Amino acid sequence: MKKLIVILVLCCISFAAGAAESKLENIQVETNVQAVERGADALMNTCHSCHSLKYITYRELVKFGMDKKKVEDWRGDQPLDAALTSQLSDETAIQSYGKVPPDLSLMTKAREGGPNYVYSYLIGYYITPEGMTSNHVFPETKMPDMMGMSGATDPAQRAEIQAKARDIVSFLNWAADPHEEERHKLGYYVIGYLLVLTVLLFFVKNQIWSRLK
Amino acid sequence: MAESDTLGDLNRRNFLIKVTSVVGGAGAAAACLPFVASMNPSSDVLAKATTEVDLSAIPEEGVHTVAWQGKPVFIFHRTQQEIKDMAASNGGFDPEPDQERVKRPEWLVVVGICTHLGCVPNKEGPGWTCHCHGSQYDDSGRVVRGPAPHNLAVPPYRFIAADKMVIGEA
Amino acid sequence: MNNRIIKWIDQRFPLSSFVKHDLTEYPTPRNLSYWWNFGFLAGFVLVLQVVTGIFLAMHYKADITLSFDSIQHIMRDVNYGWLLRFMHATGASAFFLVIYIHMARTLYYGSYRAPRELMWWTGQGLLLMLMATAFMGYLLPWGQMSFWGATVITNLFRATPFIGDQVVVWLRGDYGVGDATLTRFFSLHYLLPFLIIGGVMVHLVALHTVKSSNPSGIDLADKDNIPFHPYFTSKDFYGLGIFLIVYCIFVFFLPNSLMEPANNIPANPMQTPTHIVPEWYFLPFYAILRSVPNLVGGVVAMGLSVIVFSFMPYLDRSRIPGGARYRPWYRVTFCLFVVDMLVLGYVGYVPPTDLSIVLGKIATFFYFALFVLLPFISKKEEQWLIRRGLPAEVQALVASEAKEKIKSPHQRRSGDIK
Repeated sequence: MKKLIVILVLCCISFAAGAAESKLENIQVETNVQAVERGADALMNTCHSCHSLKYITYRELVKFGMDKKKVEDWRGDQPLDAALTSQLSDETAIQSYGKVPPDLSLMTKAREGGPNYVYSYLIGYYITPEGMTSNHVFPETKMPDMMGMSGATDPAQRAEIQAKARDIVSFLNWAADPHEEERHKLGYYVIGYLLVLTVLLFFVKNQIWSRLK
Repeated sequence: MAESDTLGDLNRRNFLIKVTSVVGGAGAAAACLPFVASMNPSSDVLAKATTEVDLSAIPEEGVHTVAWQGKPVFIFHRTQQEIKDMAASNGGFDPEPDQERVKRPEWLVVVGICTHLGCVPNKEGPGWTCHCHGSQYDDSGRVVRGPAPHNLAVPPYRFIAADKMVIGEA
Repeated sequence: MNNRIIKWIDQRFPLSSFVKHDLTEYPTPRNLSYWWNFGFLAGFVLVLQVVTGIFLAMHYKADITLSFDSIQHIMRDVNYGWLLRFMHATGASAFFLVIYIHMARTLYYGSYRAPRELMWWTGQGLLLMLMATAFMGYLLPWGQMSFWGATVITNLFRATPFIGDQVVVWLRGDYGVGDATLTRFFSLHYLLPFLIIGGVMVHLVALHTVKSSNPSGIDLADKDNIPFHPYFTSKDFYGLGIFLIVYCIFVFFLPNSLMEPANNIPANPMQTPTHIVPEWYFLPFYAILRSVPNLVGGVVAMGLSVIVFSFMPYLDRSRIPGGARYRPWYRVTFCLFVVDMLVLGYVGYVPPTDLSIVLGKIATFFYFALFVLLPFISKKEEQWLIRRGLPAEVQALVASEAKEKIKSPHQRRSGDIK
């Protein structure tokens, strides 16, 4: 019976893992405050002009532990409870790019492959033989190469862009699920407790059934 | 099986069941906590627990009403004469010196809800009058005529700049 | 003090007698295996879903302009809202997993056979209500998959003869899936679980009339029954512990594994996602729907694929008692059926390719063939088993059952060799 459950759980885990695209780069997102803050910084400079994060407020950033002064800089004269909306209006966006840049609050959850997808996309720009800019992961994209990967030939430059992309994805991963760390912590306690309780219940069950002739 | 063995077994069995019940019961009780907690104000509601007020727009003798936690709060910019008048007495049915009700005497901050049955009083001449049942308050928000039993409540507030205050935290 | 209160109640309400007769002293076969834990687990998950659902409903807004945002509000702002949401979403999958195993147990051990037909049919009714509840609940987050899944499935009702188009508009309350649809789905999603609770009570009354079957498939003598408490209460709690560990692994560490990424994008009526996929528990039926190239045919096939289970008590014509334990041909049929369901699930999941379409058609044909052939297989197997010679314990049990039948003529048993 227990073997069945283990196999079942393993199947589900491998299924979930195997769902990612094979051509995506695998990255380890970082969950500590420093990396997430670096990512927020990079995002505010690189992405925020066009993309909003309507489900994140400046107050959330402060609560997570980011540097208060940095957050003051970013929010300007907007109140703390304001959401991270971009300045780009819908009409201007459609005129310039053909479509409205999607909100990024849930982007690492909204794509097959999650953070791997977003990372691979950000560093996936290249110059086609005809001299056009395109993207390996999403060729139909209307977004310009904000990270500059298509023009980066120097390996040090490429490494720097990859690090920046990784920070941005770490921030987006936090933004999509701010309670992830709390959830994992609570999960360890709950599963630990359940293991103890189930072992006790196992012994109680055996005790009671041993009375049967 | 000897008598003593059975008794020993019985005790061990009962103990095991007791321990398991306690552990299980504790878990079940703990599992209720997130449900109860989810009914408490969520973080966006708590963020609105404080209200910032810009005082530069309120002239002398002016009363500005702001919303704080869904309630009206009167911010009264008092003249020197009004301050002197209020300092002269301790109020009516709920004696309280005026200086204990303000941080800076020229700013009176009180929750604009009548302590009788919850209507919002109107500013009329000196003080406020509640038209639901006729209660009257002076320029310090103290009740001078009933049926209201208490003075208008002073919320927690503090000055964060010369002309800015935040209501909701002391 | 406690005893006095209970005595006072007992004079006015059959509390103690009910607890004794139907809970603590209720006679249960002593040889029930762990496959019999899943009914209790299903009841537990039902309570879990109702409780998490009620607390979620305190924060959810059923309005197309507000619903997606209200879910984010629950996930981000509400204290432990993320936990409520993940528990409820994982709970839906857990519910179907438990129910499918519960049904598999019933099929394998022949617990649908006389006199337990009503248990099987009330169970079918409960399954249909559960599927409706899950389908309507999935629309509520108003994501891309929610919207397009609801669009596709409500479109199926076009198959209704003559009034098909009107039925679809009537169901939706609008020409397309919209605000009217969302509001009514929320209302019905809140209602149905309470109807399910009522149905479960009917299911349990039926159970207590015919009593549980057991792995041998042949009713045991009275002396071989043991009181439900403490034997099966302790066993059920132990099984619950194991279940909760698996459940919590998903809730706390793998909650997104059961959620389609596209559902994290707000519904867009102007753009269909590239890959529309229902939740895993609907995949086999979705595959059957797609395997028939005709709209009406597909709908009929899908509906039949759920209804066909109800015919089991009459399709199984063997007079050998019980289920697969003493019936090797039936056991093979059952295993083939399970494999076929898994194949159908895979076909339902992948985007249609030439290979998967052919595979789906074969698996659909095989699915119905197994049911249609069962009367012949079961009869032939019975003859083969009798020719081969029944094992001693089966003969003995059948003989004693025939003897007891004389004593209690009102109890019909499918293993009635006359």
